Amino acid sequence: MSCSPFELRDYYFKELAENERRLTEVHVKTCANCREELERLRATEAVLLTLSDEEIPQRIGFISDPVFRPSPFRRGWDALWGSAARLGFASAAMLSVALIVFALARPVPRISTPAPAIDRAALEADFSKRLNDAVEKAVAVNEARQASQTMELLAKYERRNELERQAMIVRVAEYLDVEKKRLNTRILASNGDISGASQ
Amino acid sequence: MIFRAVEDADLIRKARRGDVEAYNLLISRWERRVYNYLLRIVANREDALDLSQDVFLKAYQNLRKLDDPGRFAPWLYRIAHNEAYSLFRKRRPEGEAEELQPETLTGEASPGGNAIFPIEMTLAVSSALAKLSADQRETVILKIYQGFKFEEIAEIVACPVSTVKSRLYTALDLLKAELAPVKARGVS
Repeated sequence: MSCSPFELRDYYFKELAENERRLTEVHVKTCANCREELERLRATEAVLLTLSDEEIPQRIGFISDPVFRPSPFRRGWDALWGSAARLGFASAAMLSVALIVFALARPVPRISTPAPAIDRAALEADFSKRLNDAVEKAVAVNEARQASQTMELLAKYERRNELERQAMIVRVAEYLDVEKKRLNTRILASNGDISGASQ
Repeated sequence: MIFRAVEDADLIRKARRGDVEAYNLLISRWERRVYNYLLRIVANREDALDLSQDVFLKAYQNLRKLDDPGRFAPWLYRIAHNEAYSLFRKRRPEGEAEELQPETLTGEASPGGNAIFPIEMTLAVSSALAKLSADQRETVILKIYQGFKFEEIAEIVACPVSTVKSRLYTALDLLKAELAPVKARGVS
């Protein structure tokens, strides 16, 4: 066997540390027994390596199947944990946020109430009722506004008619007065003619 | 070697994100070596191929559990080792301690005579390996044929480095004696 200060076979398989390797190398140069042992190891390995590798009879490959694909959450999670820098940054960010939150806000005890169950039919009925109410209200407002406008227009029209009627009465009265004066003038004139003729 | 390790690590990162093509590229780099490792352990081409497929499927499903992509090779061979020994356990009758011995892979007779032919050499090596215990044989395969470091072999077969060395050196002594006539006849 070997008389090397270290295991000669470790030296042969390059499994010694650098300083041990150098010491063994120096020893082997001066030791015939160790050189023979190394030669026997080389010869044994050479015979073993005549058994060569075979080609694989069928190539192995996978097709992209969603069943085997990690979920997007898993991929994101792996990507986060796969990077020390990102993980460190995320930890620092979370710590900063936690410090700010605890510094600014004192925790207030809250009584958690269970979320009410959602009744779709009730929601739809409530929505329809609100919609109908809103429509009715809008129609009523619109009708009132239209009635008010109609009344205003009617009053205005009546006022204008009244003014026109009074103006017409005035004009008729003036006309009658003029005609009356003209008639009186004619009567007086005819009376003068009659008296002159009789004299 | 470093360049290769970096590239494998890159493919592993892509495969972890669901890139099947990256994983297929990674397989193409390792399938021949894994197949031959399994072939020399289970000594049956069909079993070795089936196991290789199982190994790469399991590796893909567990890729996110691989802490250091730089340690992909020992991790992959650890899966292969487990798959092979799982097959041994399934095939071995309950309570039987006898080890599974590999068959001769070539299946051809020695031509005889004084001159050493390649086929005869192959048969002699296969026969010598078959005489080792399963643990010794696997250690020789991982060291001589697959080129792993002792530390990596210890990780693959899950035992201390000292045990790996002991198995290898005992096996080499046995092989040296077994193959001495062959070496004398033809191999320099």
